[in-house]
Amino acid sequence: MKTRKNKRAEELLEKLEPKTSDNLLTLKGVGKHYGSIIALRGVDMVVDPGKVTCVLGDNGAGKSTLIKIIAGLHQHDEGEFNLHGSAIKLKSPRVALDAGIAAVYQDLAVVPLMPIWRNFFLGSELTTGIGPFKRLDVQKMKDITKQELSDMGIDLRDVEQPIGQLSGGERQCVAIARAVYFGAKVLILDEPTAALGVKQSGVVLRYILQARDRGLGVIFITHNPHHAYPVGDSFLLLKRGRSIGYYSKSEITVEELTAQMAGGAELAELAHELEQLGGHAEELADAEAGVIPQAAP
Amino acid sequence: MSSVTASPSHKKTAGATDERVGKKSTLSVLLGRPEIGALVGAVALFIFFAIVAPVFLAPASLATVLFGASTIGIMAVGVSLLMIGGEFDLSTGVAVISSALSASLISWYFGLNVWVGVVLALVVSLLIGFINGIILIKTKLPSFIVTLASFLMLTGLNLGLTRAIGGSVSSPSIADMEGFKSAKAVFAASVNIAGIDVKMTVFIWIAMVIIASWILLRTKVGNWIFAIGGDEKAARAVGVPVVRTKIGLFMAVGFCGWVLGMHNLFAFDSVQSGEGIGNEFLYIIAAVIGGCLLTGGYGSAIGGAIGAFIFGMANKGIVYAEWNPDWFKFFLGLMLLLATVVNIVVKKRAESSK
Amino acid sequence: MGKPSWRKLAVTLAIVPALGLAACSSTGGRQPAPEPGAAGAVATTDRIKIAVITHAPPGDTFWDIVRKGAEEAAAKDNVELQYLGDPEGGRQSQLIEQAIDQGVDGIAVTLAKPDAMKGALKKATDAGIPLVSLNAGEDRFKDLGVFAHFGSNEQLAGEAAGEKLKAAGIKNPICVIQDQGHVGLEARCAGVKKVVPDTEVLYVQGTDMTQVESTTTAKLQADKKADAIIGLGAPITMTLLKAKATANSKVEIASFDMNSQLVGEITKGNVLFTVDQQPWLQGYMAVDALWQNYRGGFTIGGGQATLTGPAIVDKAVAEKITSFAEEGVR
Repeated sequence: MKTRKNKRAEELLEKLEPKTSDNLLTLKGVGKHYGSIIALRGVDMVVDPGKVTCVLGDNGAGKSTLIKIIAGLHQHDEGEFNLHGSAIKLKSPRVALDAGIAAVYQDLAVVPLMPIWRNFFLGSELTTGIGPFKRLDVQKMKDITKQELSDMGIDLRDVEQPIGQLSGGERQCVAIARAVYFGAKVLILDEPTAALGVKQSGVVLRYILQARDRGLGVIFITHNPHHAYPVGDSFLLLKRGRSIGYYSKSEITVEELTAQMAGGAELAELAHELEQLGGHAEELADAEAGVIPQAAP
Repeated sequence: MSSVTASPSHKKTAGATDERVGKKSTLSVLLGRPEIGALVGAVALFIFFAIVAPVFLAPASLATVLFGASTIGIMAVGVSLLMIGGEFDLSTGVAVISSALSASLISWYFGLNVWVGVVLALVVSLLIGFINGIILIKTKLPSFIVTLASFLMLTGLNLGLTRAIGGSVSSPSIADMEGFKSAKAVFAASVNIAGIDVKMTVFIWIAMVIIASWILLRTKVGNWIFAIGGDEKAARAVGVPVVRTKIGLFMAVGFCGWVLGMHNLFAFDSVQSGEGIGNEFLYIIAAVIGGCLLTGGYGSAIGGAIGAFIFGMANKGIVYAEWNPDWFKFFLGLMLLLATVVNIVVKKRAESSK
Repeated sequence: MGKPSWRKLAVTLAIVPALGLAACSSTGGRQPAPEPGAAGAVATTDRIKIAVITHAPPGDTFWDIVRKGAEEAAAKDNVELQYLGDPEGGRQSQLIEQAIDQGVDGIAVTLAKPDAMKGALKKATDAGIPLVSLNAGEDRFKDLGVFAHFGSNEQLAGEAAGEKLKAAGIKNPICVIQDQGHVGLEARCAGVKKVVPDTEVLYVQGTDMTQVESTTTAKLQADKKADAIIGLGAPITMTLLKAKATANSKVEIASFDMNSQLVGEITKGNVLFTVDQQPWLQGYMAVDALWQNYRGGFTIGGGQATLTGPAIVDKAVAEKITSFAEEGVR
């Protein structure tokens, strides 16, 4: 794993020398409001190296606010955000990156018209030469891009092609490979499987495990418990800005997870309404009870 | 096509050649460049005028065409970079005149060596760019609107301040002031090459294109410019300094305006304060013909230069061909449209062949 | 940041005044304003308000001279002068209506677009405000309620230029128009063409002097049979001198309108002549005629346009008026 060497990062990391008893990243009672709207309240979370923490919740639950705080796009208004045991408030994505927190967003933070290697090194370009002759080390960047991607299992014919020509799953993998390469200690994945089909989702989930095995602490945001459960070590459930549960894998099953997320009371109401309109509510009742539907014989 | 393999343990070292990748021929690499369409258009136009007006091929004529192209080209360099970065600047036409007027009026009013005026004009031009950028960032209005406002304000300032300070609508003559001769030699002289007088602006233009291309393709800032124009949110999310780069781009345009303004001043001595209006669109057209996407994120400084050259050829070629002058503007528009269409057709073919 | 080094400070203190001295120019620059002559008596009539509303595009040196004439007349006649303009007909008309609302005692307009002015001028007449016109509108002023017109006929001016060219043996002049579609400029070239039938027209972009230079250079390189080139404005003609040098051409140069630099070139023999419509007179006469009307109900001109030009300024005349051109009145 390679770390970005620059003065600010070193200063930051010095401040954050890992104390043996502390976790990599901790949130304690973190909250954020936009004017009079409370987007997030009283959220606790722990992220450790080599572990996957899943953040689950429906739309409007506050998941994106949470990652924006961790990734440095916003600052929290209440609670504590600790990195290596020291309290921190990240002023910008640049500061977060220097501290080792990398986010891979749903819209991927890649520029479609630019070649893959330029995207890979965007914001962290390698240069050679000095003074006015400082120039991009193009060959080195192309080589590293190709190498890192193939290490992650992506075999590209040409890193010069615009990244927009890759499929959604491939772009996700490039973004993840980029974060891993640049020494991310914490990797945040914002709904990576939301727009992908079954096969592509499988591929991305495999990369999440790969990143975990490399020693990163992974935060996996999703609204799909069937994707979260296989790869997660702990699960944080958010609803309307608050935490409604924080479980480790041993404490909960996938059915309980699904039920908690869907919200039993709302499902019952929905079933009642549909029955009145003449629909079939049995499947909904099954889901509420946590019964997995059997395929028709 | 790329393959996403199931087992990530399948590794390849970067050095080993991938047998599926045929060595991309130089030709297909060339065809992929953004300027290729403009180049084809330029060659076509050149041949057309060479046939229609034999005097077009005379070296003296070519020097004149290059001169006409260079005064658009110098600005097209900055405007291209800005367009790749995703923004427009409509105040460029009058900003050139503002720069010239600043140098002239300051030198004249305070009785200074004109070089002092030249340096202060540079400060003014960079400041105009800076202000354009700051207002854009703070108000989050589209650059079209912000620079339209500065275009109007500069137009008024040009007229008002010239009359208030100099007493008329054109700046007073400074030809008899110290430093004028040396400044003229730098900004408005001609260089004699094999008996032909080539104006200084041509060389300045070429030098600026080279430097701009270097910055765009071989430096960090260039990578940032492409990123900001292609997807500003993505760039910001990975830590690219968007604000600084955008303001820097506007200041670069200001610098180009200073260069052209100084040529204007030392070539014509007295600057008409109402000039410059309308040129801003020519600079944008040159950049677009040269392959810069209006939406940003794609293009090149060389493309902008070719676009300016096409404009110069069309503009002067019509005169060399001695066509009916009433139809001049129509022919000019038609030439530009055809050049742009050729540009798009060639680009499509280049992309489909990949 | 370390403490400022004293050595650096000393060097700066030494350099700055040296730079300051070098920065000043011993030649040229703003001259102190000349002492005004002994002030004569100003008219003893009441102070009246006159509005001069032109179609001048912003930044045209020609109109500066008109304005100077108007201002001198206003100073002499105890007149409060409002000098306004807009090249767009509709907006020029609105300015007239605003002047009427302000209750001015007289309005002078240019009638480049007479139909656009009709309504506003009728309102002025109904309000009892006397009207004169200047510069443009010689054939329409009477039916718009205007009692006097001061200007030059562009076509006549062109013909006068044509005659002078013919006398000099010119057969193939190029007439350079810096604003395609401008009626006055087109009329001038039409006048030249009437006398010298092989006149050719060349359009250039007046708002970009570098394009004027390169286009006229190209024309001189391409057109080997041209023997003269005519600029329809003094700054344009100055640029034609450069084009002639770059193209190594032998053409004669002629011009319309005037400024001090052009007068200098005529005196040196680089420009054959210029056709001056004496714009100072147009501004002066317009204001003075309205004052005369106020003073005693006088209407000058007898219903005919009073011509202020064309006045040919060749080498002989140029030498005599050099100082006036430098003053900015010619």
